[in-house]
Amino acid sequence: MRSRRAFLAGAAAFALGPSLTRAQATRTVADDTGRRAEVPAKVTRVYAAGPPASMLVFALAPEKLLGWTSPVRPEERPFFPAKYADLPTLGRLTGRGNTANVEVVLAAKPDLIVDYGSVRETFVSLAERVQAQTGIPYLLLDGAFDRIPQTLRRLGEILGEPAGGEDWARYAQGILDDVAARVAKVPPERRPRVYYGRGPRGLDTGLGGSINMESIERIGATNVAAALGKGGLVQVSVEQVLAWNPDAIVTIDRTFYASVWRDPLWQNLKAVHAGRVYLSPNVPYGWIDFPPSINRLVGLRWLGRCLYPEAFGEDLRPFVREFYTRAYHQTPTPEQLDALVQTAEPRRG
Amino acid sequence: MRRTGLAIAGAIALLAALVVGAFAVGRYPVSPGELVAVMQSKLFGTAHGLPATVETVVFGIRGPRILAALLVGAALAASGAAYQGLFRNPLVSPDILGVSAGAAFGAVLGIFLSLDVWAIQGLAFVFGLAAVAAAYAIAASLRGHDPILVLVLAGVVLGALLGACIALVKYLADPYNQLPAITYWLLGSLAATNPGDVRSTLLPVLAGLVVLWLLRWRITVLSLGDEEAASLGIRAGRIRAIVITAATLVTAAVVSISGIIGWIGLIVPHVARLLVGPDFRRLLPVAVLLGAGFLLGVDTLARTAARIEIPLGVLTAFVGTPLFLWLLATARRSWQ
Amino acid sequence: MKLEAHALAFGYRRHPVGRDVSLALAAGEIMCLLGPNGGGKTTLFRTLLGLLPPQGGTVTLDGADLRALPRREVAKRIAYVPQAHIGYFPFTVRDVVLMGRTAHLAAFAGPSRRDRELAEEALARLGLARLAGSIYTQISGGERQLTLIARALAQAAPLLVMDEPTASLDFGNQVRVLDQVTALARSGIGVLLSTHDPDQAFQCADRVALLRGGELMAHGSPGEVLTREHLRELYGVDVEVAEASLSDGTRRRVCLPAGGVPG
Repeated sequence: MRSRRAFLAGAAAFALGPSLTRAQATRTVADDTGRRAEVPAKVTRVYAAGPPASMLVFALAPEKLLGWTSPVRPEERPFFPAKYADLPTLGRLTGRGNTANVEVVLAAKPDLIVDYGSVRETFVSLAERVQAQTGIPYLLLDGAFDRIPQTLRRLGEILGEPAGGEDWARYAQGILDDVAARVAKVPPERRPRVYYGRGPRGLDTGLGGSINMESIERIGATNVAAALGKGGLVQVSVEQVLAWNPDAIVTIDRTFYASVWRDPLWQNLKAVHAGRVYLSPNVPYGWIDFPPSINRLVGLRWLGRCLYPEAFGEDLRPFVREFYTRAYHQTPTPEQLDALVQTAEPRRG
Repeated sequence: MRRTGLAIAGAIALLAALVVGAFAVGRYPVSPGELVAVMQSKLFGTAHGLPATVETVVFGIRGPRILAALLVGAALAASGAAYQGLFRNPLVSPDILGVSAGAAFGAVLGIFLSLDVWAIQGLAFVFGLAAVAAAYAIAASLRGHDPILVLVLAGVVLGALLGACIALVKYLADPYNQLPAITYWLLGSLAATNPGDVRSTLLPVLAGLVVLWLLRWRITVLSLGDEEAASLGIRAGRIRAIVITAATLVTAAVVSISGIIGWIGLIVPHVARLLVGPDFRRLLPVAVLLGAGFLLGVDTLARTAARIEIPLGVLTAFVGTPLFLWLLATARRSWQ
Repeated sequence: MKLEAHALAFGYRRHPVGRDVSLALAAGEIMCLLGPNGGGKTTLFRTLLGLLPPQGGTVTLDGADLRALPRREVAKRIAYVPQAHIGYFPFTVRDVVLMGRTAHLAAFAGPSRRDRELAEEALARLGLARLAGSIYTQISGGERQLTLIARALAQAAPLLVMDEPTASLDFGNQVRVLDQVTALARSGIGVLLSTHDPDQAFQCADRVALLRGGELMAHGSPGEVLTREHLRELYGVDVEVAEASLSDGTRRRVCLPAGGVPG
């Protein structure tokens, strides 16, 4: 946890001046960067600053979420109860492609703005700016994988759902522990080298330590691109992938997945020969990243099944059903479940 | 003429060396012995006894990429040389009438709509041609005194409009999935070249280059200006239209597979002009050879110099800028 | 070969320059066009060459309307020598002259050996052989003008239109250019040239036309046209026309602006 110099409560109170016209009891809350803000004792309206945050808030307290950051796509709608699918689109405040108009944020009259993801300086200063400008408390939560259970607990407290937060935290911790335990039993020589291909040609990948690759690293697999160093997303060539010759390939792009079986250039890879190319489901959110939020929990088990079929031998469907019910508040139908899990099997032929 | 012969011979030798070098280096380890074996096997039909991957790397990946680099470099250089003569201006690049902006918009639109790769390339090609056609139509409808100026202005305005459209699409695109793809496309790269790309661009590029070659004398005379060219017997407007069509065809074809690559269309014709003078009969072949060689060299660098692929559009600018400044400083006489 | 203008009105789309101009140029004769700046000489030339569409009347070449003839055919019959310019590209003098052969080239061909020979001949005829390899943009103004005349020569057209060929040339070069023009006419080429200097008209012209405000003020032999009254009307200055004897016995008229320094 990165600790930062906390602001004086007085400065926070001054910043919150405009909102004090609403006579409410408030409490001081610290976020994951050490910033403190005055949050209403009872929070009923939450604005999520980006997709990871909206996922998080929606999972814990869907009725408090004011709206989505981008419109719900048609293929996503079947996974949400209609009343939530119909929530308005408010735009995003952070991350690439800011689209929110601060006035829109104000018009929605949130009690609280929550952001979930990177806690780097840029986002801290953004939080400060928006909080000063709007007078609405802005909390930044760290999106790192290990902190998911803590974050869920913390957010539960903030939103006034401590029981729900605790329940989620236990559930998430359970998933993480279970996966870690099973992976620990897999001897090192059976841990695969994985190439994660993005984009329609499958040539964009993440370097070591990038947020997109956290799931792959957690599952005990080696990210082949880590050999190129640490960082974010980069483009590579087919020749480079051939040189790496990974044991398995994971992707979220349908176009790439469809073409990789037919493209003569990719045929020489042992992963393609063995059928070990796995297409990550992406409705309503991607399972590996897109966005990097708690959706990665379900992706973790799925990855486990893809890469270690013996250690993760059981049927994925009950797990996925439980996760989706908790996270999206709607139980998926058997057909939806089938469609989601089918890509975890190696493809034959 | 002897100097031209020397320049061309030198350029061909350099090109051959670059091609051999390009085949020899790459991310996948292929030793010189393996390279020779695979080459011999291809030429004489003998077996090479090496894993199939080696053959794939040499002929399926490096080969097409090398050929694509040659085509792209040649096309951009020829197009630049033609435009600089046509518009009598050293600062002109093939993008001036909007072909790159149009192609970029087409590709970006294709990525935004999540179309498959062939559709993206096809859109790039079509929009590239359409942009220039639109510039031409705008210029034709505004019959001013100076047809060249009006054409350039129409191209610049259209390019700006398309740039704004591209920015809009970037803004609306999914930042996790589409935006990186768009950014990579706009930076220019041959990393994803496969044999199909080469097949689809070979014909348009060769056709365009042949047309430019056939019109080489007329392009030379046209560089005197419309009126003088007309008094010497050339239908300036018609020749200009044909040259623009050919140059646009080759540029749109290569931009659709490589993304936006600048500088080649601007500096390579300069260097060629310094070597052999402005006569298009000599300028075209030399520019084509130099452009092909330059881009092949830069692309080979792009895929081997760092651990990751360096985008071509970035690298040509980094290599091209000092070269261009040096040219400006030392070779002023080319424009006196 | 005869170039004729019949009641020609000329100018730009929204800006007419001249009207009712009728004149004829035949092979082997020299016609001088005089007139003040802005009088429309260059515009008239452009129209006679087919570079500008007439606004009224016609231009004919051997009776055929110029507009009906393809560019190449017109270029084979009329060559144009513009005022010598700097130019953008460093072509050699030889290349510039070679461009004169364009009208005779086949569709996609470059110049042949025959074309190169003809270009060399044109260079030699104008005494430019030693300059053939020089860069056009680096030679003197007079040499550039001669190069353009050589180009017109290489074009092998029976008619020549020259726009102020002696402008911005030193005295020596002016004389040389006019000598060349006379030689060309003697070899059968018809020359139409514009000039500011009436003396040049006296020196070489068979016929003279005066253009003022876009209209033909007068048209005929130099003696008829270049009179004191006409010159005063044309230029607004008082000029006397005197006759002088040259050392070889020929007599020639010269213009003497009234009110010079007494000798």
